Amino acid sequence: MIETLAQAVVNGLLIGGIYALVSIGVTLIFGVVKIVNFAQGEFVMIGMYISFFLATYFGIDPLLSLFISMPVLFVVGVLIQHFLIRRVLGLGDMPQIFLTFALSLLLVNVALLLFTANYRTVETSYSETAIHLGAVYVPVAKLIAFVVAMALSGTLWVFLHSTDLGKAMRAAAQNRDVTMLMGINPDRVFAVAVGVALALAGAAGSLLMPFYPAYPMVGQVFVLMAFVAVVLGTLGNVTGALIASLMMGVAESLGIQFVGADSGLIVVFLMLLLTLALRPSGLFGGWTR
Amino acid sequence: MKAKRPSPRWLWLGALAAIAVVLPLLVSSAFTIDIFIRVLLFSFIGIAWNLMGGYAKQLSLGHAAYFGLGAYTSTILLIRFGVSPWTGILAGGVVAALASLPIGALCFRLRGPYFAIATIATAHVLMLLFLKFRDFAWGAEGTTIPNLGNAPLMMQFDSKLAYYYIVLVLLAIGLAITYRIERSWMGYYLVAVGEDEDAAEAIGVNALRIKRNIYMISAFLTALAGTFYVQYIYFIDPNTAFSFNVSVEAALVSIVGGIGTLWGPVVGTVLLEASSALLQSWLGSSHGGVQLTIYSLILIAVILWRPSGLLGVLTDVYARIVQARPVKKEALLDG
Repeated sequence: MIETLAQAVVNGLLIGGIYALVSIGVTLIFGVVKIVNFAQGEFVMIGMYISFFLATYFGIDPLLSLFISMPVLFVVGVLIQHFLIRRVLGLGDMPQIFLTFALSLLLVNVALLLFTANYRTVETSYSETAIHLGAVYVPVAKLIAFVVAMALSGTLWVFLHSTDLGKAMRAAAQNRDVTMLMGINPDRVFAVAVGVALALAGAAGSLLMPFYPAYPMVGQVFVLMAFVAVVLGTLGNVTGALIASLMMGVAESLGIQFVGADSGLIVVFLMLLLTLALRPSGLFGGWTR
Repeated sequence: MKAKRPSPRWLWLGALAAIAVVLPLLVSSAFTIDIFIRVLLFSFIGIAWNLMGGYAKQLSLGHAAYFGLGAYTSTILLIRFGVSPWTGILAGGVVAALASLPIGALCFRLRGPYFAIATIATAHVLMLLFLKFRDFAWGAEGTTIPNLGNAPLMMQFDSKLAYYYIVLVLLAIGLAITYRIERSWMGYYLVAVGEDEDAAEAIGVNALRIKRNIYMISAFLTALAGTFYVQYIYFIDPNTAFSFNVSVEAALVSIVGGIGTLWGPVVGTVLLEASSALLQSWLGSSHGGVQLTIYSLILIAVILWRPSGLLGVLTDVYARIVQARPVKKEALLDG
């Protein structure tokens, strides 16, 4: 019993690390640009396909392709901010919501056209290996993904707190108008925020590839999780999103273990609905440092 | 001043209604009638969505919840209790309207994008619940509706024409309700809440109550479409009934046509379905993804260049054509 519980918690934490990369991206864009990126999951999907094709045609290990998927998606993010998102800032809810929503639809369906709905997997030397910690079984691929995800989250935290650009981003999140008065160029700050968020999604994609199949709709799983995590962790709060993602990974895993294989998502959504009912502002209060 | 003669607006409407009634009699192919039925059905769902999403600007992406509840209520009543879908369709509407109360109570705590996300979650939870409860509602396999041949009392017909006229009546009801609401105090309150919720509250509009009421109406209408749809395709399962595509298309047709306008959802559906039908006949067989790729490109274009919808483009063109004519004072008052 204790072993099953420990195993479920470990499984949950490991996948929670991936959820964290996606939800930190969502919360970062929301915090700084005040846009909810419905397409965040699709950038995970793109990251996965980048890694898949690099692995299949050039034999590049998915973990190494992180160094390609992240910069590529950073550039994609800057372009999307410049050509699409920038044009709906300051407009009503409708354009702001449905622009990224349409982008999500577009990317899923273009992927469907180009790559078909088939599942693509990459076999690596470590895909099947695992470490045994007592009775708990830790798959190496997931462990690496978790460690790298935490390292990236930590790097982002340091970036937000110790660089001028990072501080400008946090300032823009707190009060855009005053930030502009302080002489900070919002276009640049926004572009970097979206770029960084997409790079994180790309990283999540590459990290997933050794143990998770790529298919056009794959992003929807992750984006739903990310939205719940972002609400639980208080909108715009990076640390909150990280903690909430890990909690949700564990909750989902416990749901699968103790309620039934198809119940993981129900548990997560019930968490969302309960939070909305009891603490609509999320578990972590306003923007924390 | 009231016009004694029917105004041009009513003449247009009469002509349009006549075309809608006669149109299916002129085509013989079942495929074409099928497209017409789709157009009318999604116009109707769009109208239900638009009441809430368009006028009150509560942008739901979870209307599949009510579509599914309507579909399941009438089907369970039909198969388990032998109740006619004509009763079931109303029962489904009532169930959906009641379900909108707790769902709204939760979701209305959030605004804007997070309202949309919460509604996605509620529709998804309902789908997962219906997938899980196999004994009660057939689980993931779903069930077929027993085919009774031509049984008008059980909402089953040999001819597709009958379905066409049913959904045409639904659409007419939807348009009439929207027309009434648009011109009532409720309509003004809705627009006020949609424009600026805090300001509306400040001048004494009970925003929560008005949102709750319109959500009930919207849910009720969406559920009618759900019952109609399962009766039309003779099959139900959670993935069809609570399909995210229903939620998406409900919003999409309204936005493309013109959010918060009477005819917007109809114009949007006609444009989108026509483009997709043309594309399919051009490309031949079905290419997975083509239809939604086109839809999303149209949506992005509309958002960037014409966020008020394409209905506005049509009326602009119409206005330019009739501009040459001197405008009568009476017509102005009617308009």
